[in-house]
Amino acid sequence: MNLDPEERWRLIDKVARETVEYGTERSTIRSVLAELTVKPLTGIPFALAVLYGFWGFFDAFAGFFTDGFFVPLFDDHWLPWIQEAFPLKGSWLYYILVGDPEAINSFEALGMLTSGFFVAIGVVLPAIVAFYLVITILEDSGYMPRLAVLVDTVLHKIGLHGFAIVPMILSLGCNVPGVASTRTLETKKQRFMMMILLSVFIPCGAQLGVMLSLIPEYFGYIMLYLVTGFFVFGWLLNKLIPGRSPEIITDVPPLRTPTLTNVGRKLWVKVKGFFTNAIPFVLLGVGLVNLLYLGGVISWIANSLEPLFTGWFGIPKETVAPLIAGFLRKDLAVAQLSAIDMSGFQLITSVVIISIYFPCIATFSMIIKEGRKSGGVIKVLSGSLLTLATVVFLWGGLLHLIGILLGVT
Amino acid sequence: MAILLMGHPNVGKSAVFNRLTGANITESNYPGTTVDFTEGYTYIDGKEYKVIDVPGTFSTDPKDEAEKVALDILAEHDDPIVVVVIDSTKIERGLYLAFEIMERGYRTLIALNMWDDAEKHDLRIDVVRLEEILRVPVVPTVAISGKGISTLVEKVPAANRVDIEDLREKVTNL
Repeated sequence: MNLDPEERWRLIDKVARETVEYGTERSTIRSVLAELTVKPLTGIPFALAVLYGFWGFFDAFAGFFTDGFFVPLFDDHWLPWIQEAFPLKGSWLYYILVGDPEAINSFEALGMLTSGFFVAIGVVLPAIVAFYLVITILEDSGYMPRLAVLVDTVLHKIGLHGFAIVPMILSLGCNVPGVASTRTLETKKQRFMMMILLSVFIPCGAQLGVMLSLIPEYFGYIMLYLVTGFFVFGWLLNKLIPGRSPEIITDVPPLRTPTLTNVGRKLWVKVKGFFTNAIPFVLLGVGLVNLLYLGGVISWIANSLEPLFTGWFGIPKETVAPLIAGFLRKDLAVAQLSAIDMSGFQLITSVVIISIYFPCIATFSMIIKEGRKSGGVIKVLSGSLLTLATVVFLWGGLLHLIGILLGVT
Repeated sequence: MAILLMGHPNVGKSAVFNRLTGANITESNYPGTTVDFTEGYTYIDGKEYKVIDVPGTFSTDPKDEAEKVALDILAEHDDPIVVVVIDSTKIERGLYLAFEIMERGYRTLIALNMWDDAEKHDLRIDVVRLEEILRVPVVPTVAISGKGISTLVEKVPAANRVDIEDLREKVTNL
């Protein structure tokens, strides 16, 4: 039999009175800190400090391993060795696996065994480890929901609520779990908006790692443009898509000390996933693009799309090759830009285009999978493709216009 | 035989799951970490049980996609044992979900998780009395450290169906 809610509460109340005794609670440093992190006056400076610390650590950690260890290892030892040791110089096999025999840095060699390994192990792996180490600590300490409370007001302006910060932050690691976690949002509208905004405007940890290593001087501009895009299109989508955006009531858990075993375990799961899921895709991407080059496909596509690339976006037509690699891995796509000769502003535009033109294949399949639960695949798919095309065309073109107006193209 | 771990978001279901099955699924200190279910296996008295970490749900009336997943899992299984995982510091609302599940006639067992937090808050729960009233096993646990998990495992076979009519009468007369 079923009780009605009122009766249920009445019974529970009696049970609790019979079995629970409330003692006196002392306030501890932890509970005081827990309070301070959600009050706007103290919470916002605290959040900024946390984000700054996050960023500083990510930068220092990834920089230490990439520039201090992997760059010398790959550029001074691995690259020259394999360029000499690999037989069949001049053959197509050499081109696919080793790439340019004259290259002096591992970003520009463009072979599977040179750039492929370097990007995956030397650049992205340290970034992934650094990112998930911090994220895990933030997750386990209970800071995430506090951040959600603080950003609630801002996100309401684009029809979301504070808890949307969780998929956003998860997406900064990898868009795939980010898209999956949109399930905790209440309405189809919110889920649809969030999936699109995430997969378009939030670069993943692997891409961040490569950007940081390759073009640290432009990093801030690119992120600013992407974040602005997130809010501009969020606001637009909120106006255009029918549906509700309800308020959320959430629990803020107490602050806890993360345990070493749990942090270690989560980190291990991510690193293992990276080796089994990501590295094969990076290598595959390098191989595929090289094959397409050899087959003349790339130059054919580049020539046919030239008006769009040079005319509308203001970037060299050669960026078509990285864009193709970007279907598989965004990190690889950004890395491949380094071999193309272009101005600083063009580089910024190219990276922005790579970020927004299409989600990587893994994210895209996740959107399809989740779309099934959020109003039907066809609807979500056509909706996202339409939004995507509009965003790329407008947001990419606008950047070109900004460049022209500033006179920096 | 299936054991479903159910409870509000962020009460430690995934931590209990990892302890029971030796698995490695993600545990975090925020609601909504688990949005899909995870299955694992555990052996109790030589008998194999399928354990399912169900996404957090506040009640049996779903309000988002993750909660729908939770209720689908509950409906899909034939006579499962439901372990209701409760945050000891928020025992009343945990009991609300436990009541809903007991009312549906499932064999139920209650894990009072985050018992250490309750102690820190100087919150004293009379477990024996609670068991007497509800007639289902109630076990204090601290899943992240593993405390109480072996008792929980021992009591799984003792999970009980509750006669709500009886319970209502008993509680009303307290």
